[in-house]
Amino acid sequence: MALEVDEGNLKQGLLGLVVALVEIIQETLERQAIRRMEGGRLTEEEVERLGNALIELDEALERIKRENGIEGTVKSVRDGLDQIADDVLDKMINPKRWEEHELGAG
Amino acid sequence: MSSAQAEVGGGRYLYCIVNGGTELELGEMGIEDSRVYTVPHEDIAAVVHACQAKPYESKNEEKVKGWIFAHQYVIDQATKRFGTVLPFTFDSIVKGGDEAVKDWLGKEYSKFKRELERLNDKSEYTVQIFCDESTLAGKVEEKSDEVRKLRGDVKAKPKGTAYLLERRLEGMIKDLVAAEANGYSKKFLEQIKGHADEIKAENPSKRVPEKWKDKLMILNLSCLVHKDRVEELGNALGEINKLEGFAVRFTGPWAPFSFARLEG
Repeated sequence: MALEVDEGNLKQGLLGLVVALVEIIQETLERQAIRRMEGGRLTEEEVERLGNALIELDEALERIKRENGIEGTVKSVRDGLDQIADDVLDKMINPKRWEEHELGAG
Repeated sequence: MSSAQAEVGGGRYLYCIVNGGTELELGEMGIEDSRVYTVPHEDIAAVVHACQAKPYESKNEEKVKGWIFAHQYVIDQATKRFGTVLPFTFDSIVKGGDEAVKDWLGKEYSKFKRELERLNDKSEYTVQIFCDESTLAGKVEEKSDEVRKLRGDVKAKPKGTAYLLERRLEGMIKDLVAAEANGYSKKFLEQIKGHADEIKAENPSKRVPEKWKDKLMILNLSCLVHKDRVEELGNALGEINKLEGFAVRFTGPWAPFSFARLEG
């Protein structure tokens, strides 16, 4: 089967994928940042600097999405990845577990 | 074996087991319009069509959908005609002709008979309960001092710190909503248990039907219900459906796919 690719499509798809992956990294960074903040080893200034850096990253990603019209592409890539993760987890769950879910009812 | 029944290859495709001990023609309503008929043994019968002794397989999704639709259709028609049936899953095939089906029915007779009696006048229903996460979020926020305190901090702190606190707040609310939804799902399950003969809890699916999109499925049940109790189950579900932030999807009756014990 031949794939029809025009330049605009390719750019959108590729950029959408890259931005979706960066968003996932962004979420990990934010989680780590919160953990450090809660750990209490950071000064107030350090927390503020960390927060500001993350705001800048967030704004940059939003701008890239908006300017390239890839909001929808990014969302569908992320939904697709969520779906894959769900399917993999479902398959990993031992069928025995499903049996335990079986409930007798009065 | 009836001589009128033409042999098509060496297999019999199985739709379901029914009560009834006579040979019957059910018409050309099977997969790819095949002729569907019953193969009886004593007072039970298998609903079949003659096929090749190999499974139906195709990479064409539409084609497979058509087959599954026909499979379901035959089971529905058999249910209308014979009452309770023991349905087989798609692509259950016995090797051999009608005699092989009869032998197999003879060997498994007591099990099939027992299951037909156990499931008599009972059907399968699907119950799915959805919740609106934002309504739940509102409820948990009211209850949690920690959330209120954090919300205050977000307002009081400088921009960068506030951003991190806000992300933390989001995570906290998400966890509380999940715990709240879990509590409701357990409570609803207990209520529903009282109105069903048997229940199987399936994993709540992330794929939510269009009508309930943006909502979270918190309960996904297959319920075996006697025909005299369907109304009371419907009423109980109606009460849940009235609660703010919840919606119920109640579908059926289906043949008892999840409850017929055909193996072992």
